[in-house]
Amino acid sequence: MYPRDLSEYSQLGTRSSRDVKPALDVVAQCKMLTVLLDDFVEDMRQQQHLITRDIEHFMEQYEATSDPQYIAKMVLRLVEWYKAWLPPADLGATVYSTYTLHFQTHVFSVLPPSFTRGFKSLLNLTFNLVHMASAPEWMLTLVPSTQPPPSRVDLPLWAAFDKLGLLDRYESLVSSVCYEYIEAHILQTCTGKWDEPMLANIRLWMADNIVPWMIMPYARGARSADEARTMLQGVGSRLDFHVCKTLSELRTREIFDIIIDYPDSSSALQDLRECLQRVDQRTQLVQTLRRANNKRLLHPGADTKDILTQYVSIIRCLRIVDPPGVLLYKVADPIRRYLRDRPDTIRCIVASLVGDGESGDSLVDDNEPIQPLQQQQEEDYSDPNWEPEPIDAGPEFRTNKPSDIISTLVSIYDSKELFVKELQVLLAQRLLAITDGSYEKERRNIEILKIRFGEAALQVCEVMLRDMTDSKRIDTHIQAQKNSPLHATIISKHFWPPLQSSKFSMPGQLKELRENYAKEFHLFKPDKKLVWLPHLGTLKIDIELDDRTVSAEVPPLEAAFIELFSQKDIWTVQELIEQVGKVDRPAVLKALGTWIDLGVLKEDRHDQYRLLNTAEDGDSTSKAVARPAMVVDEEPPVTAVQQQQAEQMRVFWKFIEGMLRNLGTLSLDRIQSMLKFAPGYDRNIEQLGAFMEAARREGLVTVKDGMWKLQR
Amino acid sequence: MEQITTTVAPLRAAKAATTGSSAESLGSVTKRLSNELMTLMMSSSPGISAFPKSDSNLFEWAGTIEGPSGTIYSGLTFKISINFPANYPYAAPAIKFDSPCYHPNVDINGGAICLDILQDKWSAVYSVQTILLSLQSLLGEPNNASPLNPDAAKLWDTPDEFKTQVMKYYRPLADA
Repeated sequence: MYPRDLSEYSQLGTRSSRDVKPALDVVAQCKMLTVLLDDFVEDMRQQQHLITRDIEHFMEQYEATSDPQYIAKMVLRLVEWYKAWLPPADLGATVYSTYTLHFQTHVFSVLPPSFTRGFKSLLNLTFNLVHMASAPEWMLTLVPSTQPPPSRVDLPLWAAFDKLGLLDRYESLVSSVCYEYIEAHILQTCTGKWDEPMLANIRLWMADNIVPWMIMPYARGARSADEARTMLQGVGSRLDFHVCKTLSELRTREIFDIIIDYPDSSSALQDLRECLQRVDQRTQLVQTLRRANNKRLLHPGADTKDILTQYVSIIRCLRIVDPPGVLLYKVADPIRRYLRDRPDTIRCIVASLVGDGESGDSLVDDNEPIQPLQQQQEEDYSDPNWEPEPIDAGPEFRTNKPSDIISTLVSIYDSKELFVKELQVLLAQRLLAITDGSYEKERRNIEILKIRFGEAALQVCEVMLRDMTDSKRIDTHIQAQKNSPLHATIISKHFWPPLQSSKFSMPGQLKELRENYAKEFHLFKPDKKLVWLPHLGTLKIDIELDDRTVSAEVPPLEAAFIELFSQKDIWTVQELIEQVGKVDRPAVLKALGTWIDLGVLKEDRHDQYRLLNTAEDGDSTSKAVARPAMVVDEEPPVTAVQQQQAEQMRVFWKFIEGMLRNLGTLSLDRIQSMLKFAPGYDRNIEQLGAFMEAARREGLVTVKDGMWKLQR
Repeated sequence: MEQITTTVAPLRAAKAATTGSSAESLGSVTKRLSNELMTLMMSSSPGISAFPKSDSNLFEWAGTIEGPSGTIYSGLTFKISINFPANYPYAAPAIKFDSPCYHPNVDINGGAICLDILQDKWSAVYSVQTILLSLQSLLGEPNNASPLNPDAAKLWDTPDEFKTQVMKYYRPLADA
């Protein structure tokens, strides 16, 4: 029984248990078993250095090469030691367990820290062994091939681990190896792959690869498949949880790009939803998405239209992930707040409402039925299908019933009036831009919008549209009375958004045309007066010069100038301005530029222009051919809502100034409440605060302890 | 500066009593006052200004008048208070100086003002703005024939002494 070096056992030969048995019986009968055991343990202790030497030898090799084969070799070697020193089974369980304990204690005490690393990589290798029909070479050298070969190639290794108690001791290591293996697989297969449901694939992969592997560390002792199943159940569900966790973490990291890819990425979202049901990662998802939005979306460099598109995608995506909308609510809030501060948000939304998508794709899904705007509804507690708010819903959260995208977008703002106003501006621009008299598209748009915003809100738009058709009718009538090359569009001032006004007078025949038209109009509608907006409209003119005729379609100011050039050939800018009246210099230069481009005028000296009665040779005429009279009016003729608001704010400032002058110092609240005297005041206190702050920066007011006063 | 009063023709129908229920008339008074406020705010008459004292009562206003340049009161600012009667504009508003003003037609103690258009010559076509302008011009051109402050009336012809008295009583606006 004396523990010796392994090499000595071969010389020793085997003694049959029959020889030993009588001797052991004697010991047992004399109740000398404990003495024997003590003695044996003492012997073991003296011989331990043999094992230590071996371990050190293997570990040195491992550390030199980092090859887990050495670990495997060592493990198997240790098993040999173990078997060699194992006392005869006849001595009973106590001796056996004491021996095992002492053996393992010693082994564990001498294993260097690097063993953990080595063992881990060895375990990693075992995944590859699962599906191998025959053991790889390195294993064959280690494990003496038995007949018949073991049912699985990795069985000897696992048996060895078990023998040495490595599985118990390194249980967490084993599971972490498994976790890491799964993680690596998920990251490798699923990253950036959003177009097919991966969760199911992973589960299949788990069943094919991991479950067979798991049988070894977790269910080796199982006698039947059923037993194995029960043994694997606990660890299996832990692993499944881990799969969900890993996948949801991965998808959470990718969420922003997944949303960008929507709808191609809807499978990924389905996966995420399924994962989130198992794993509580909702907060992380919200945080990550909010962070990503802040970093990638809500900054000045992003186009409002892109933000809106992404917002709409977020809405759609998070509805998939979380139908009740709690996540959406939490994520959408900062976006909505940000959008509210953007000046052109309404414009973008409205543009998409009327299908003005320049980029082609509208925010709204064309398949979505057009519905009236939905208002926030009170919760209906008598609803038999009522469900309480989700547990992580914030106090502000209101169950928003799945509503259509436009309603959600419109609800960014408190009132829909702003939209209607912007709509009018947009409509005005579009109507004025129509020259061929077909308003069918606009009519259709308005009908659609009526469904959304209600008849009443769009009454003004209706009037605008009618103005256009009426103009056509009136024009036909006037043309019948007296043929005129002028076709007027007559709009009702009160129903149109303020148009940029400009007062210049048309010279010569153009003026005559206008006056005649106005006269006819007066005859036709005696109770109405025609006020011209001289800068709107276009003129098709033919200019007959000495050697050529130039045809062009130009804005009125250009026409006015060329009319003046028919009086004399050379004009200075100053003279031109005197003739037409109120126009600013840039507009004049732009108008003259049009003619220079057409080769009709030439700038002789600074600010002095000459009519080219005969074409100048070379480039100028050819340029005129090459460049048709494309007149682009950059400035929209309609005063934008923003400008209107700035105008209003000037009025409010007068009131603020008045109250501060007379009442001394006032708090913001007081100013806000006093401003109710100002007609049409509709700002909230935050807006007022921002405005006052701007006034302070301009040095108009000062503030101290929240009290504002005029700067004197 | 020419007194505004002479440029405004009195309205014949001004004395007609208000008809309709009081609530209705109160509503119309409020409306009129709002309009006057709007006009006053939007017109940029230099040196005159007024605003309701609180948002709940449109009938009590505080006003500011700066002394017209070229007069003894040039550079001085006076506070006044304006109280509109319920039957405004058919009756004149009650106006008094809040800051002490040494002036022939102003009571130095109570701030009461002696100005024809605020008493018997009142007309419904006048407005806060015209009143304020009248007061402003009154500073430069007092009516010494009917003084509320006889001492001031006597001193008017000796500008240096008068100015001394004005400054003796004048209290600059608390700039708190």
